[in-house]
Amino acid sequence: MKRPMTCIEIIGLKSHLHQTVALLQQVGCVHIESINAFSDVTVRPLAIDASILRRQEELSLLIAELEGELSLLGGATQHVLPPSAIDERDIRSGLATLSPQIVALTTQREALKAEQESLPRYEATLLKLLPSLPQTAYQEEKSVIGLLISRSHLEALEVIQQEVTQLTDGGTEFVERNVDDTTRALLMIVPTDCTPRIELLLGKKDVTRLRLPQQIEKGSLDATLTALQARMRELPQKMAAIDQQMVHLGGLWRERLTIWCHYLHDQFDAYAVLTNFGETEHTFVVMGWVPRGGCEALKTQLQQVLGNQLVISEKPITAETQALVPVALHNPAIVQPFESLVKIQSIPRSDGIDPTTLMALFMPIFFGMMLGDIAYGLILLGLTLWLLRRVGSGTLRDVLKVLAIGSVWSIAFGFLFGELFGTLGEAIGLHPILFDRADGDHIMSLMMLTLAIGAGHLSLGLLLGLIEAIKAKSRSHIMERGGMLIGLMGVFLMVAVLVELLPTGFMTPGMAVLILGIVILSTSMGWIGILMGTIEFMGVISNLLSYLRIAAIGLASVFLAKVANDLGGIAGNIIVGFVIAALFHALNIALGAFSPTIQSLRLHYVEFFPKFYQGGGRLYTPFRSRFTSTA
Amino acid sequence: MEAGLIAIGAAIAVGLAALGTGLAQSRIGAAAAGILGERPELLGPVILLIAIPETIIILGFATAAMILLLSGGG
Repeated sequence: MKRPMTCIEIIGLKSHLHQTVALLQQVGCVHIESINAFSDVTVRPLAIDASILRRQEELSLLIAELEGELSLLGGATQHVLPPSAIDERDIRSGLATLSPQIVALTTQREALKAEQESLPRYEATLLKLLPSLPQTAYQEEKSVIGLLISRSHLEALEVIQQEVTQLTDGGTEFVERNVDDTTRALLMIVPTDCTPRIELLLGKKDVTRLRLPQQIEKGSLDATLTALQARMRELPQKMAAIDQQMVHLGGLWRERLTIWCHYLHDQFDAYAVLTNFGETEHTFVVMGWVPRGGCEALKTQLQQVLGNQLVISEKPITAETQALVPVALHNPAIVQPFESLVKIQSIPRSDGIDPTTLMALFMPIFFGMMLGDIAYGLILLGLTLWLLRRVGSGTLRDVLKVLAIGSVWSIAFGFLFGELFGTLGEAIGLHPILFDRADGDHIMSLMMLTLAIGAGHLSLGLLLGLIEAIKAKSRSHIMERGGMLIGLMGVFLMVAVLVELLPTGFMTPGMAVLILGIVILSTSMGWIGILMGTIEFMGVISNLLSYLRIAAIGLASVFLAKVANDLGGIAGNIIVGFVIAALFHALNIALGAFSPTIQSLRLHYVEFFPKFYQGGGRLYTPFRSRFTSTA
Repeated sequence: MEAGLIAIGAAIAVGLAALGTGLAQSRIGAAAAGILGERPELLGPVILLIAIPETIIILGFATAAMILLLSGGG
């Protein structure tokens, strides 16, 4: 359902402009519309002077700084109360105190993290090289120089070995090892007095030196490895200590920063909203929308502060302004989670139908019919209720609520189909009330049931579409939807004859009704309807057949459950059998949560909604303080 | 022999339809991933576009069910 809206006009003296904006923000019920959107309002748009633009820029910079610090501190403060007074100088001095501390801590943490990522590579290299290091490497007059070379350029290694051998008159020992799939390491044990000349030579070659971080380079490679491993053990503690300090800082500052952020956003919004205002020489004009009945309450609240300095009046909604009316959805608590799913598709138009209630009615039934298992329903219900206690708000919470409602229907259909972990119900004496889906004799009944549900769903959509078309006095839409509906009735009559629900005498009237429907549908399209009318009607039949997915997904679910039980049964060992069956059932439940949701959504988005639903509306977003919206 | 051929016929009906759906969805899915990277607010229309080719496999399923049930293979 949609809340009816009223268009209002507020006129006041320019001297009261900023006070009015602050009051409107505090009251928080007016969706402010751009003055340019109303062609019958002849005032000019309010001129924004340079000082306001400069102030907006200052505020946005300060907000960016605050939000940056908040994101570094992590965590979230959902509900903050408006402070009594905030001085912007306090915000700036607070940031001057906090920012250096955060910068120092994050820099330290990043350096430690980089070290933590690089040290294992050094350790792996040293561990590979150390066992092959000859005893001579530990002599006083010897030095060790390490190189890392790509294994695709091994010829460079030979050249370097030849040149170093010449430089040291053959006094160098070489040790080579593959470090990983792409790198080969070369250790050169050289006389210490030759080191400068070799360093000079290597400087001219384009090779990577095996250089360890200075703080852990302790002379010999063994000592270096020990120091490196000690450092690796030390790093997590150091990082945890920094995290602890960040948590402490967060505890001290987060709420304050959030309040400041809200305060500055409010200030920014109060300037930004002025671009929607209009002006005359001495007055300002605001146009907007409030929920019906809200105008009097708004008048009272504004007049309490400004007395009779403002003129607030209701304006009639014309054909031109109808398209501007924002949409405020107002549904019972059980239907509200489905609003998110409707909004994913598009926002309902102000003059159209809000399909949320219909979706809340049909979607869980489709879901339950597909999953249709007592045990799966109970497990899914338990899981969703448990997750609902942990997920605060947003679309995910809404989806979980939808799943919970769907699970209840799944339990109900589980009783109708006699399913508990698929075919396991039968073993404990559970009998289907309706029929057994897994039984080959009943597959046709299942398909007919889903088609019948689809027929009802589609007919309801077309009927609603027809009512909408009649309200809009759109002749072509009346004929299009009416034709489809009449044609479908003809098909239903013919099918009823084929399945022997009606006597054969109804076949001819059925065909006549079908042809009449197609003719009406074709006529709505003009000349092109001769061809397109039949194709369009085939689209409706395709929509109807699409409901067979309820049977298909349901059958897939029940047969996977049967496979789980059969595999568990043939395992020969009760524990192994239980584990195998549990794994398959877990997979089936995971699929059962995902697939029926998507398929039910699709049936609504693709088959049901296009018959009557016109999205493209705009959400009612009142101009209000951040403190109002989070309190 | 006849029952086996009926089963193969049903399998071909559902298998080829599944291939068709998969082919269409793979292309739409790749494009959809690109769109959602740029404009996440288009999730609704994207789900709709990805879901459209599924009708092919449902028709395949219906055909297979008809082959099995009406030919006595079920």
